[in-house]
Amino acid sequence: MNRSSSETLNRLLLCLAGALVLALMWGPQEGNFGNYWFAIKESLFGPRVLVFLALGVLAFLAMTFWPRVVPFLTRPGVWPMVAGALTVVASQTLMHWADQVGDAKFGTVASAAANTNGLAPLASAFFGGLCWAMLVIVVLLLAAGIVSGLRNFGWAAAVLSVVSAVIAYVSHSAVVDFVGGVDHSLGVYVCIVGYLVLLTAGLVVAMSHAQVANTRRAVNQALGWRPGLPLVLIGAVLGAISLATSTWFSPANRNATLADTRNLFRGTGLAPIAVQYLAWLGWTIFAISLVLSGVASYRRIRPLGWAGAALGAIGVLLTVLTLYRISSIGADLHVDSADGPWQNLGAGGWMTCAALFLIGAGGYVAATAPRHSERTVEVDSDAVASGRSASGAFLTAPGAVRSGLMVAIAVALFYPPTANGFWQSVLVSEIGIYVLLAVGLNVVVGWAGLLDLGFIAFYAIGSYTTAYLVGSLPVKPPSWLEMSPLLAIPFAVVICLLAGLALGAPTLRLRGDYLAIVTLGFGEIIRIVAVNADGVTNGSQGPQSQVPHPVINLGPVKITWGLNQLQYWYLLLVFVLVVVLAFRRLENSRIGRSWAAIREDEVAAQATGINTFRVKLLAFAIGASTSGVAGVFFASQIGFFTPDNFLLNNSILVVAYVVFGGMGSLPGAIAGAALLTWLPEFLKDQVPAADRQMWIGAVVLLMMIFRPGGLIPARRRAVELSGFDQRQRLEPVAVPAGEGL
Amino acid sequence: MTSTMNDSATSEHPTAGRENVFEVKDVTLRFGGVTSLNNVSLHMQRGEILAVIGPNGAGKTSLFNSLTGVYTPQEGSIQVRARAGDSPSSVIGLKTHVVNRLGVARTFQNIRLFPALTALENVKVGIETRQKSGPISAMLGLPRQRREERESSERAYELLQRVGLERRANDIAGSLAYGEQRRLEIARALGTAPGVILLDEPAAGTNPAEKRELATLIQGINVEDGISVLLIEHDMKLVMSIAHRIIVLNFGEKIAEGTPEQIQRNPEVIAAYLGTPADEVADLDLSQPELHRIDTDVPLGELVGQTPAEAADQHDRGELPR
Amino acid sequence: MNYLILGITRGSMYALIALGYTLVYGVLQLINFAHSEVFMSGAFGSYAIVHLLVGDGKATPSWAVPFILIAGILSGAITAAVIAWLLERVAYRPLRRRGAPKLAFLISAIGASFFLSQLAGKLFGRLTSNSFPEFFDQNAVIFRPFGAEVRVLQIVIVASAVLMMIFLDRLVSVTKLGRSIRAISEDAPTAALMGIDIDKTISRTFIIGGLLGGAAGFLFGLNFSFGNTMGFIPGVKAFAAAVLGGIGNIRGAMIGGLLLGIVENLVPLVNIDTKWTDVVAFVVLVLVLMFRPTGILGERLGRAA
Repeated sequence: MNRSSSETLNRLLLCLAGALVLALMWGPQEGNFGNYWFAIKESLFGPRVLVFLALGVLAFLAMTFWPRVVPFLTRPGVWPMVAGALTVVASQTLMHWADQVGDAKFGTVASAAANTNGLAPLASAFFGGLCWAMLVIVVLLLAAGIVSGLRNFGWAAAVLSVVSAVIAYVSHSAVVDFVGGVDHSLGVYVCIVGYLVLLTAGLVVAMSHAQVANTRRAVNQALGWRPGLPLVLIGAVLGAISLATSTWFSPANRNATLADTRNLFRGTGLAPIAVQYLAWLGWTIFAISLVLSGVASYRRIRPLGWAGAALGAIGVLLTVLTLYRISSIGADLHVDSADGPWQNLGAGGWMTCAALFLIGAGGYVAATAPRHSERTVEVDSDAVASGRSASGAFLTAPGAVRSGLMVAIAVALFYPPTANGFWQSVLVSEIGIYVLLAVGLNVVVGWAGLLDLGFIAFYAIGSYTTAYLVGSLPVKPPSWLEMSPLLAIPFAVVICLLAGLALGAPTLRLRGDYLAIVTLGFGEIIRIVAVNADGVTNGSQGPQSQVPHPVINLGPVKITWGLNQLQYWYLLLVFVLVVVLAFRRLENSRIGRSWAAIREDEVAAQATGINTFRVKLLAFAIGASTSGVAGVFFASQIGFFTPDNFLLNNSILVVAYVVFGGMGSLPGAIAGAALLTWLPEFLKDQVPAADRQMWIGAVVLLMMIFRPGGLIPARRRAVELSGFDQRQRLEPVAVPAGEGL
Repeated sequence: MTSTMNDSATSEHPTAGRENVFEVKDVTLRFGGVTSLNNVSLHMQRGEILAVIGPNGAGKTSLFNSLTGVYTPQEGSIQVRARAGDSPSSVIGLKTHVVNRLGVARTFQNIRLFPALTALENVKVGIETRQKSGPISAMLGLPRQRREERESSERAYELLQRVGLERRANDIAGSLAYGEQRRLEIARALGTAPGVILLDEPAAGTNPAEKRELATLIQGINVEDGISVLLIEHDMKLVMSIAHRIIVLNFGEKIAEGTPEQIQRNPEVIAAYLGTPADEVADLDLSQPELHRIDTDVPLGELVGQTPAEAADQHDRGELPR
Repeated sequence: MNYLILGITRGSMYALIALGYTLVYGVLQLINFAHSEVFMSGAFGSYAIVHLLVGDGKATPSWAVPFILIAGILSGAITAAVIAWLLERVAYRPLRRRGAPKLAFLISAIGASFFLSQLAGKLFGRLTSNSFPEFFDQNAVIFRPFGAEVRVLQIVIVASAVLMMIFLDRLVSVTKLGRSIRAISEDAPTAALMGIDIDKTISRTFIIGGLLGGAAGFLFGLNFSFGNTMGFIPGVKAFAAAVLGGIGNIRGAMIGGLLLGIVENLVPLVNIDTKWTDVVAFVVLVLVLMFRPTGILGERLGRAA
């Protein structure tokens, strides 16, 4: 057998084996001991296995004929087509479409729609199969356009994409209006995003002159054409939809739009400003800021950009104020048993906020983007001073990174209020807290290169410190020291700092893997102490009394946390932002560089005069204190906790988040933690609950195999990945690898 | 013989009588049963370029590592007064970074940069070990931190210009060419504002043009910045052209010391390089023209610049190098 | 004395697992976090065979017991070796090809560990305390040195562990494969230049580690109980043991494992409540590392200084 055919055979076997593993993972049956092979039989011996084997064969064919497909893949428009189609498919299989219908997934909604009379015919058709037909037609048109090179196909696909997006939106609205009630589902929005990507694909196919696409350059060209304009455009679409059709207020399943809300509150004593807002002010601010920011970014007029930003900010404030007013009145009238403000609000108001925010942000980006003349200088002192390098970054267009950041902030600020209670609590107690932890651990693992497997211990120390200071533990603090949880933050920080120093001082001289096991041991010791020191920690029960929610009382302003999750979310957001900003500065300071130095080459770092021990200790202490802050949050938010919240597993998971996201990259750590804490909650709807860890393990494994640098690799790390062989080759042949005697 | 040459060297050298940067007395360094430095004594004067040569395994890098605190010799003393006006301090038992802070900077035989950092950042790391601002001021972006940051960027840029790398300031260090990496390492060492710089084979793996630039650079560092230079180098042309004084090590012992001319004529040195016993070399008639060409015109560096395998190969075939 | 015997029993199992960590560390300088799942798979694999052979175990003739024990050890070892081999192919080799940073290996191993343990849970149930059929009187006391009781099972465990360790020691110090393993752990690039097939050797190292770990899985399951999450705690302990002895050092792993097992079981003797066992174990570990930063025997046997 020659080499190439044995390779082919290997590949076939690999694909089939993968298919069988997938069949096992997707197995219909939990196994049990009484019938040892039962689950395997159920998964592998039956007609269903043929489906998986067919998938394996398909994968094999794809891999085998990959070289023939590749020339087509580089044609313009292929990647947006694939991405858009996958997004639409995902939205129409995995995501929620209407909260009030069964388990809210697309399939359920579709079958409910089929059994419902009186639904708008368009919606019935959409859920009855039109959705898939449209997708298939769009993709076929695109494919035809790409293969044949005929532009009209592209135009047709683009038009049809827009039509499909509109139909999807209208159908979804029809269902939600039919059922009534506040809707939190995101499916339709994801679907629309998918169609917008397909629209892009269509436009690319129609307008491209080149035979080969450079996706990265195209993206950067589009984003860099007019800095800020993409944000303004997103804001415009979002604002128009939300002001025109979205639900603003939803008492008694009425799903009132902006206009309906105005009618609803006529004569209820609504504050004049809110009345004006509902009547005309909202639209006007939206329109004016849109014009300001749009013109500013298009014509690159800086003062206009600032004006747009300011008006956007004012608009956001006014919108929030209006939402507060109408929901307060709703609460006064006990609509739908509302007992406080911010209830019964639809997504519309928040979407408007996001739209105004993005428009303002567009103005801001336009106002701060470097001018043309400033960009062309090769190595100027400015670029040198900022120490930034273009290499390795995906987004190189001016303002592109900032735009991305703005979108992220808009989502972080205005998505949570529209989510349902479950996702709000996930956001706070999983995503938010673990993001904070990951950002802290990133200092230790990502920047200083120290493997810390006991990170959760500091989190535990922070939590227990809080519990002690508020008097929830068997040991009481002296009465003068008892305090509210928020005031415990500096104490927790200091104590975690000290704990970090105490652990680090004797152990940081150990080399990498020894450090790992010692920190792991430390984490376990802290947990075991918490379990067993009954007199101090109340043992495995956790604190005796609830850790109270924080209160800020500044005379006129009094904020009490604990009424709902959102308050904690925003508190956490502030902390994450502060920590991230501070750490960003730290990364690009002498401290950050000395961390990178000791990580890269400890001997050279020492010879350059870096006190490696001190620098490592500093990383440890900073990481530990961040973890302590997270602990305070956790303790006061959850109220009751037990030592089981601080298992070794959690330490390992945080390391996994950091590495998954991209070691040493702040956005990576955030994205990694957010994604991997979100995933199990998302999977809850998709697979049996007990299997979630298995899927996550598989995702992590695949990620590391195919992208070992993580989701968003750090600039400073990206080199190590690509430069592994290079570095070896740099050694001259005659010089021995070691230092030599 | 060594002592007489030593005396003559000090009297001939223009910097004679100045204070010493390094004073190494009777240093012995052992690894298990292997003695890599045996009773080595030497001194280095302020402002001179002192070269240490010797065959592979002679203990040159061990000497460097002892001088910078990487290794702790079992016997002997090492005193350093890197910058003029410092009071002398002993290196023995000090940590590497402390020695560096005393004003002793070094480069490595097998380049040790921070490959994932940009060239500029590499140099900044060196500069910033002399700065004071801490983590708090970095996180808050206090004025002092900003000032120091700006200063270090400007200084780093100057140093890159100095070694001719300013165009590559924002390139990742790992992506630089070999010779560029060597120069970057020198720039990083200079960033720590040293009084003495130890260069471990700076010319290894560089081409002739780069070697000439390097020689100019080293002399510039020595003359303009007033930094004393201790140099390990196998390229004899380079050594002979820039070193004020040369120390020869072999098998961990100092076998000769003196000016380049003296060293070139020293039979023990030639013996050490050719691998023949010293008395045989002494017996050779040095007036014969062919042999004269070996130890003067043909740079000795050609011999040791080869890979050991090549040299052994030539040896086996009974050839003299070129 | 009883505690000492318990300690040696437990310690020899730790040692077997620790060998897997140490072997992989030796050739790759990586902590194989998924080794605990290799160990776990050994228990599941051997259960399948043993259950097939003895049913509920009540009617097992006494002459068959040794054969069944051997079958159990072999089947556990082979299952685990297959899993270890797959693990290397899937979670390690692609990353090595890409020159991934060290932590990426760690995380891919953690991913593999989650995946394997939960897949086993899905396929065979998630009970944490399954037990093997009792096919012989495990608790029969054989002899009583110094008033202690030595039971059949303990002898089986210690004897088979010692046999395997001797076998491994010979393997590594005498055979060609052993030489390759040692060469790679000293200097992989040079070893490759000397004509050693690194990929193959690493694969085989994983397989050897898997064999030992799988056997330990069977013995552990026989002694205590087993389940899909059984690997984690012994895995961590064995890893600690490997570090204790000097990671990468084969004899160190044996000694570290035994020592850790003994220390854990001697805790009650010095008037410390057993709930602090793990704390004591880790404190001992930290203390040892304080004074001998590279473990009891140092990192390499061959390296003098």
